[in-house]
Amino acid sequence: MSNLLLLLIVLPAIAGLVCYFVRSSSVRTLTVTATGAVLTAASLALLGQGSFVFEASGLWESLVTVLDFALLFVVLYYGFKLKNLLIKVLTVTQIVLLGFFELFMLDHGVSVPALMGDNLALVMVLIVSIIGSLICIFGIPYMKEHEHHLNLKKSKQPQFFLFLVLFLGAMNGLVLANNILWLYFFFEVTTFCSFMLIGHDGTEVATKNATRALWMNSVGGVALVLGIIFAYLQTGTLGIVEMLAAGPAAGALLVAVGLICLAGFVKAAQLPFQSWLLGAMVAPTPVSALLHSSTMVKAGVYMVLRFSPMYEGTFLSHGIALCGAFTFLACAALAIGQSNGKKILAYSTVSNLGLIIACAGINTPLAIIAAVMLIIFHAISKSLLFLCVGTIEQAIGSRDIENMRGLFKSMPRTAVVTIIGILSMLLPPFGVLLCKWMALEAAADHLFVIVMLALGSALTVVYWARWAGLLMGGRRIESTPEKQPLFTRGPLMLLCAGALVFAFATPFLYREALVPMFAAAHAASHGNILDAATGGFAIYPFIMLIGVGALFAMYRALRSDVRRTSPYLGGAHVGDIEDGSFLGPMETAVPYQASNYYLGEVFGELRLTPWFNIAAGGLIILMLGGAL
Amino acid sequence: MEGLVLALLGIILAPMAGGLLAGTDRRVTAWMQSRQGPPILQAFYDVFKLFGKERLMVNRWQVLCCWIYLIAAALSVGLFFGKADLLLIFFVQAAGAVFLVMGALSVKSPYSQVGAQRELVQILTYEPLLILVFAGIYLVVGSFNVGDIMAYDAPLLRKLPLMFIVLSYALTIKLRKSPFDFSTSHHAHQEIVKGVLTEYSGPALAIIEVAHWYETILILAVCSLFWATNWFWMIVLLAATYFAELVIDNTMARMTWRWMLKYVWSIGLALTFINFIWLHAG
Amino acid sequence: MFKKLIKKSRAKSPWIMHFDCGSCNGCDIETLACLTPLYDVERFGIINVGNPKHADVLLVTGTVNHRNKAVLKNIYDQMPDPKAVIAIGACGLSGGVFRDCYNVVGGVDKVIPVDVYVPGCPAKPEAIIDGVVQALAKFEQKQAG
Repeated sequence: MSNLLLLLIVLPAIAGLVCYFVRSSSVRTLTVTATGAVLTAASLALLGQGSFVFEASGLWESLVTVLDFALLFVVLYYGFKLKNLLIKVLTVTQIVLLGFFELFMLDHGVSVPALMGDNLALVMVLIVSIIGSLICIFGIPYMKEHEHHLNLKKSKQPQFFLFLVLFLGAMNGLVLANNILWLYFFFEVTTFCSFMLIGHDGTEVATKNATRALWMNSVGGVALVLGIIFAYLQTGTLGIVEMLAAGPAAGALLVAVGLICLAGFVKAAQLPFQSWLLGAMVAPTPVSALLHSSTMVKAGVYMVLRFSPMYEGTFLSHGIALCGAFTFLACAALAIGQSNGKKILAYSTVSNLGLIIACAGINTPLAIIAAVMLIIFHAISKSLLFLCVGTIEQAIGSRDIENMRGLFKSMPRTAVVTIIGILSMLLPPFGVLLCKWMALEAAADHLFVIVMLALGSALTVVYWARWAGLLMGGRRIESTPEKQPLFTRGPLMLLCAGALVFAFATPFLYREALVPMFAAAHAASHGNILDAATGGFAIYPFIMLIGVGALFAMYRALRSDVRRTSPYLGGAHVGDIEDGSFLGPMETAVPYQASNYYLGEVFGELRLTPWFNIAAGGLIILMLGGAL
Repeated sequence: MEGLVLALLGIILAPMAGGLLAGTDRRVTAWMQSRQGPPILQAFYDVFKLFGKERLMVNRWQVLCCWIYLIAAALSVGLFFGKADLLLIFFVQAAGAVFLVMGALSVKSPYSQVGAQRELVQILTYEPLLILVFAGIYLVVGSFNVGDIMAYDAPLLRKLPLMFIVLSYALTIKLRKSPFDFSTSHHAHQEIVKGVLTEYSGPALAIIEVAHWYETILILAVCSLFWATNWFWMIVLLAATYFAELVIDNTMARMTWRWMLKYVWSIGLALTFINFIWLHAG
Repeated sequence: MFKKLIKKSRAKSPWIMHFDCGSCNGCDIETLACLTPLYDVERFGIINVGNPKHADVLLVTGTVNHRNKAVLKNIYDQMPDPKAVIAIGACGLSGGVFRDCYNVVGGVDKVIPVDVYVPGCPAKPEAIIDGVVQALAKFEQKQAG
């Protein structure tokens, strides 16, 4: 047991250090790949062993405390280096609060188990270890190409992979932590790693965005420390399991939980904290993929979800549902106004995290299962999409979706994988949609929540559908598919296959794994709700007909007695079918261009963001105030 | 088992009913314009003719997309008659609508591109309304299941009169009637030729037409839930609704998407809130 | 049976596309007059579509000149088989009074095959409808390419 935990949490740190100190490309490749394989195996083995509680020796406890303070001082150093007052103030606050807490309040005699794995934690470990590893492996050829473009004298890859791989360990630690101070430590490690990774390229804008990420997450850190102190004062324990066992919270404890959830909101980049995650896209694509899919932001929703039993049925719960639903709606609206592919993905991430948090806030067994499923499916689809955009960007030199028009012509494989990725976020029978379905069913009693979810879900359709549509296009038969390195194609194909397999495995996953895992206690009393709402997915085989139908449609599409012709241009078209030009004055061919509606006058980013931030800030105050 | 039979029956009968309805629609429209109009079976003639035409395409994605549109539309009708979950039915239908748009976007044609964007705005407009109508039904009946809703012992119209109006907005958009017919129109000419359908031709267009019949029947079936207690009144309600649609179609001018989005969302949301508050109060 | 059904439907549902190839608008007005309630060609299932990809019958009015002959050819090529072409008016038939102009190619049949010729300057709506009905008889026999 302890060996597995060592592998999952400490091995990435060691592997990261190996990458950092051994500056050989082949050693790095080997280390990252091997770490990925070991993490995958270890996470599966851990799942096989089931729930556990693990007492760490006092040595580890002290080590974590020491490292925690060391890390805070490193952050403080960066605060001074960047001359950023906010970071300085927030970090000093954390050091003072934490120091005071450790020295004067905490009873060091009582030990709580440091780590524990319940179903939620184990599922999270799987996501982090498997998807995170795939992203790291994708990063190997990507970074080579990336640095090739930058013409660096000295490779910065060792540092990059140090933080990338370390990140996985920190995430595993975070989700497995039972001692809430350990949770705080790993929370800070992820903050620091993301700061280093976002600023990796060292450009002015990268540094600026990294700084923003650091100070915003420090706000989360302060909220978390405060939450920990309040929670300890009320319950007298540091153990999360012990806190949860105390049942629904009330009074001051609820405020503590509210603060911890606020820390989760910041980590999950919920409105009005979305700007750090949007800024994070300046980093190389593997970083964005990691931050958006399996780590970092998922740490935020994990925390909100972890404490959901404590605020069940309280006003705080409604507040969280409202905040989540509002973020879902607002970010879907903001995504419509974007043509930058990565930014669309970023807004969509924030939006989906909002949905997860809304589910946590609705806090019925069905909603909680929807949230967990959404975490899984979203991690797969979103990492796939980020890797796709990264691949496309390196090939065409742009991340603007307008430039991806007809991508199928030049990069058929990547285009198809991207289209599947997009559809997996949008359509039945893919998991994300089923989760949305469950969320809507669960939210039907909450007037404002369902209105926001309904609007948001329609907005989501718009920005995904137009992106998938414009990737399609014709292809000349003689053109050959694009070539890619194994480590680029491998993760893409594996994730794509994952999305497809999970789509078909959903009912099994739901019935055999998630319901027993997360609603076993409720199944007896609420069994009816779970079954009646979605029919226990009994109808599922019927949905599968869509898959069969799609295959039939594909067969029809490939049957070859089709005469090809140009698009209709009033008869004035000239040249090749795909070129798109018409006969202009003086018998010259004039190319034409069609582009998407971005509905700027309604959904413009600059126009909406301030209002959304104010509204979201108001909702958070409402949520926390309601807890008082 | 019974559900499966009903579903199959729905899938087979819906296009027939939809085609007849389309024929009647044209006939009544002609009557309103003091013309004789085409035969009632005209819609079927059109579709059979289109099936007999050459496959003329810009690219193969269009074929894929139109087939998925048809399959999704047929499945959603089947699911409805098989008494499945309303939200599920809706999502399956939405999948088809999305594929229609994607097929139009796959072609580098200004007309179909603009049409596709407008179609997306239409989807954006009616989708939340439909979800809210379903949520309203849930608040009254306590279930999203079509079977449970049919079994409810009072007409829903009594408790959800405003939601019926909201639904009729969605119906008008979905039927591509004026003033919401700007992505494509049943009438011959439009400023963007035939909008989202411009680049579909021959059998592909026939497939889309059949899929459209399915969708019409689906939305009318949702309307019928509002008076599911009595066959006679259900038919009267449907006939009256459809006739109202025709009157609207023949008396309104085509508007813009900006107007539609603002107008329909504000009216729809206001009506929804009022009706939901009634429910909570009542 | 299906084939028979399609054949029957073909005659019942001719969608026409009207292309003005440089007409003086006389024949165009008469063509559009067919759609008015007075003549109401929709009772034959005729719809005036704006897109060759949806059309079965192409109505061409006016003379063909060097500038628009490519457009006429393009539009004809974008119609899926089976299809029919009707040339309307003196200009469409032969170039009419403009046939000797420096820029005029001549009648429609110089560029694309024509099935029915409807004479007149301008052609009367009744003649145009008659032309369409004649074209349908030919059209019914055509097979999908």
